[in-house]
Amino acid sequence: MKDRERGETRPVRGASRREFLKTAAVGVGALAGVPGAARAFDLEAFFQKHLRELSNQDIEGVLRRLEDKYSRQYGKPVRVAATGPLDGVVYGYGLDIGRCIGCRRCVYACVEENNQSRDPEIHWIRVLEFEREQAIRSIDLEKGNPYYDHEKVPAEGMFYLPVQCQQCDDSPCTNVCPTGATWMDPDGIVVIDYDWCIGCRYCMASCPYGARHFNWSEPRIPTDELNPDTHLLGNRPRPKGVVEKCTFCIQRVRQGRYPACVEACPVGARKFGNLLDPSSEIRYLLAKKRTFVLKAELATRPKFFYFYG
Amino acid sequence: MDGMAGGGGEGGPARGRPGDAAHASDALGGAARPGHQLATWVALGAALVGVLLLASVRSAHGPQTHPDYPSRNLPPEPQALLLPPSPADDEYFPCSDCHEGEPTNRTVRELEDDHEDLEIAHGEIWCLDCHAAEQRDLLHLANEATVEFADSWRLCTQCHGSKLADWRAGVHGKRTGHWWGPKQYQTCVSCHDPHSPRFQPLEPEPPPRRPEAITQAAQARQETAREGP
Repeated sequence: MKDRERGETRPVRGASRREFLKTAAVGVGALAGVPGAARAFDLEAFFQKHLRELSNQDIEGVLRRLEDKYSRQYGKPVRVAATGPLDGVVYGYGLDIGRCIGCRRCVYACVEENNQSRDPEIHWIRVLEFEREQAIRSIDLEKGNPYYDHEKVPAEGMFYLPVQCQQCDDSPCTNVCPTGATWMDPDGIVVIDYDWCIGCRYCMASCPYGARHFNWSEPRIPTDELNPDTHLLGNRPRPKGVVEKCTFCIQRVRQGRYPACVEACPVGARKFGNLLDPSSEIRYLLAKKRTFVLKAELATRPKFFYFYG
Repeated sequence: MDGMAGGGGEGGPARGRPGDAAHASDALGGAARPGHQLATWVALGAALVGVLLLASVRSAHGPQTHPDYPSRNLPPEPQALLLPPSPADDEYFPCSDCHEGEPTNRTVRELEDDHEDLEIAHGEIWCLDCHAAEQRDLLHLANEATVEFADSWRLCTQCHGSKLADWRAGVHGKRTGHWWGPKQYQTCVSCHDPHSPRFQPLEPEPPPRRPEAITQAAQARQETAREGP
């Protein structure tokens, strides 16, 4: 928020250069004299500043432009919000691995809530299957099998570990991003500005949990399946060539709601709450249960905790 | 809550200490008193410094707010939890429809008639351990007090006490709604069949597509495009 306010008052350095480019581009467009091309190439979007440099008024403009675009594209009203973080909240997630049965209800609830591409297929949650005997000794994420296909789960002698963005407090992905398109908001959610992502995929290479996914081609979502309640930094439809990942359902949790995966889990293995509230569910399980984080040795300090209920 | 109770308990022994010291100095007699008093003051001072140090360490390791935070002014949590009514079995409930006026047979036996399909896999239990014999539409606790079917969790948690603590805290079982705001609790019987409480295996949703499959599909698309006009 501070940044946004600063954006309003700060004298815009380099404005003359930007103005020049803008004028030049308009000139080129006019010379070409192709109205269709001018519509496809959105000047306003092309010159959009970094989200954290935009004033609240500018952000309003961006939201309305996107709502208009998506509503036309999907033929139904789509809302795009940019709800900011709540004061005094840092989100934490708990997953009871003693209870997970590997049914993948969370995976598809997430796909529907967060408008992931159906074809090519993108899943923000991967449920890894391990042999219990082997997992007791140590969990090697590389040995987990996400492609298991049983008639009924849990399968005999198997153990399940769902993995999604761990919302690291010291996140390698945000450190390597060359354009500042991804950062951690004050409520601990690592977000991506799809307008500034250039698709270099450095973040994907740096993520030790394989939690980031790339849109190799134009994402496809059936119109009737599109969730029209979207957030600018979360589940709004993505363009081709950008990276996406779990945001703890930013569009839901900033309204006080549980993430979609928490509500979908049939065994109640998924827990969510405010790490700064001593009476929250997440603080209770951190205090009373045996918890661990994935790849703790990398000191990424995940805010996603696994526990034995 | 438990943590707070523990903190309050620490006050007890600390308050007792000065009295003990006075008692000891009395026993030692007048000559020893000035030196001993000095020692008491030194000890008290050291304790104070210790407490201050501990407090500062605690605040340094406690939950830190982000520097961008202006304040921690969350509105008070709007609504307490709601318990949805337990899914009573419409096929059998109300039990009094059949059992009213029937003499109660208390002997443990093989179930017949309408209940012959009932699978009981819940330790060594018999119907009347939970169902009230005299008031068929109610359950009963170990102390003979009756409870409604909707409050069956009171019955379950007589034995499953540790689960009750976790469930109250929202860590056992499932909650839906708001992490900050009104939320719905599932009760024990929402997920567990009380007669056979083990969670039944489910059919999983389809696995993700393998990367090879995506590449093959893309190649196939390219080939059809090449063959086409």
